[in-house]
Amino acid sequence: MRIDDDLIDFFGQPLMCIIAAADSAGRPAAGRGIGFELLGDRETIDVIFSGWQWPEIARGIEETGRMAATFVSPSDYVSFQLKGMARMRATLDADLVRSEAFMAAATAELAGLGVAPHMILPWLTARGACVARLAVSEIYVQTPGPLAGMRAGTAPQ
Amino acid sequence: MSLRLPDLSACFEGVIPSIIATASADGMPNVSYLSHVVRVDEEHVALSNQFFAKTAANVRANPAVTLILVDGFTGEQFLLDISFVRSVDSGELFERIARDLRATSAQVGMSEVMRLRSADIFRVRGIEQVPSPVEAGPGAASRPPVSLPALARAVAELGRQAGAGEVIDALLASVRQVLGYGHALVLLRDTRTGALVTTGSTGYARSGLGSEIADGEGMIGTAAASGRPVKVSDMSRLRRFGGAIGPDPEEAENLTRTVAFPALPGAMSQIAVPMCTRGAVTGVLFVESAQRLAFREEDEAALCILAGQAAAALGCSEREADPASPAPVSSVPSAADPARGAIRVVHHGYDDSIFIDGTYIVKGVAGMLLQLMAGWHVNEGRSEFTNRELRLVAGARMPEVKDNLESRLLLLRRRLEEKQAGLRIVRTGRGRIRLEVDGPLELAEGSE
Repeated sequence: MRIDDDLIDFFGQPLMCIIAAADSAGRPAAGRGIGFELLGDRETIDVIFSGWQWPEIARGIEETGRMAATFVSPSDYVSFQLKGMARMRATLDADLVRSEAFMAAATAELAGLGVAPHMILPWLTARGACVARLAVSEIYVQTPGPLAGMRAGTAPQ
Repeated sequence: MSLRLPDLSACFEGVIPSIIATASADGMPNVSYLSHVVRVDEEHVALSNQFFAKTAANVRANPAVTLILVDGFTGEQFLLDISFVRSVDSGELFERIARDLRATSAQVGMSEVMRLRSADIFRVRGIEQVPSPVEAGPGAASRPPVSLPALARAVAELGRQAGAGEVIDALLASVRQVLGYGHALVLLRDTRTGALVTTGSTGYARSGLGSEIADGEGMIGTAAASGRPVKVSDMSRLRRFGGAIGPDPEEAENLTRTVAFPALPGAMSQIAVPMCTRGAVTGVLFVESAQRLAFREEDEAALCILAGQAAAALGCSEREADPASPAPVSSVPSAADPARGAIRVVHHGYDDSIFIDGTYIVKGVAGMLLQLMAGWHVNEGRSEFTNRELRLVAGARMPEVKDNLESRLLLLRRRLEEKQAGLRIVRTGRGRIRLEVDGPLELAEGSE
């Protein structure tokens, strides 16, 4: 599934990210993302998360190769979920730079909405940063309202 | 030590969205935010699932679910391993979840969007704390618990009050002294219209006495309609309830015959507690605070105790307000100040609103009562009246008045004082009142 221009615009603003995987027994794991990078093919996204906080995410991806990531704009609740096959890849210095920028933007956005900084600190850490490379096969609108659950993005040419 | 659901009470305030992860039968995960998680008992939680069909489908195909809850005070995160048990779309538990959701969403203009279709019940199999890179901030435990001896004294004090005004003042004082909240309102139900009318107020720049909330509207109306407390713990992203107030509330009152609802700028927490007696909701105690998560479970319980006691005392004051002796046939008019000009009292029949010297005072039952007394004062030279005669005469026009005459008189008395209208109503004994005037009254019927 191709990430279209509207989604590219969406990914350009301060976002929060939540992620999920499932192990071979079908038990889901949940966690938070701390950064991402859209790859040039517009069908792949690298999602960064703390392996220290969310070890079950990496374990689930390694076991079943499946992943979901939901990105939300905190100011207006606009949300999209990306799903597909994923694999873990080595973490690079550039990933840490991206995660720092993502966390700083998210923290400023939430603080601007009235969430106290001491509340946000426990959620976002780059300790044990890991990267999952997600080949996006499904994109869904997840903004609360009548469009929730509808497909987004465009089918690949 | 393993964690239990009661240890996570600050996670169920709906302040920070929860996160739910599910997996389909073929193992594809799904992750979404969740607006409401309700603790059902020590082993079960209920989730509102009003939008996400995929989540609902997944839990029915694969009952294993992982939930992240966030402590509303500290931001600490907890992973819950839960299993789907059943779905409910009616009954007491469903109504509790639906009520919480309605109260919150009505304030952001999403009451239609946020209508709850069903709630899913899950058994909690395990709870783990998520590692945090920082030390936890101040938690709920940093506030002292509610003092039961102080609460008992406040309840006893409420029981000692005879008049409606004293009961309401004692209730507001107990909210300040026992629980430390500085902004509170008491709204009593107008049995004729069903509206809830602000009859007591503490802490606001404008008292808001006489302002009205329709039954079922917003938090206060929902609390009255359901008979259950309704609470919002973090208003930071919600539109302020009753926030549309014009630039000059006094001028607006005269134009609209509607008193603006009082506002606490920067309110972060609000709670509406129904005042119930003999199974009927007779009013609502509304409290707000500039602090997030200001109302803990124990604060809510204490407010319910105080509101219930006040409702019972108000009921007694209505029943005991009629003296056994008959109404006086005549009495000496109170002395008017000869230097003061005439006080012009205009009554508008279509809504029984009263304007004094061009200033809106009150409408409805309270307006009709003032019109009656002013008429007797001018035509018969009387200034002293009994509840019984007012109940008889007003009750012939509005039968509902018999149940809340005292509260309507109280509203009238307080509005006259607040507006310095040149008229006062003074209680002179059980079920007896006197109309005091600063000048001769000039009565007129308003042209609509």
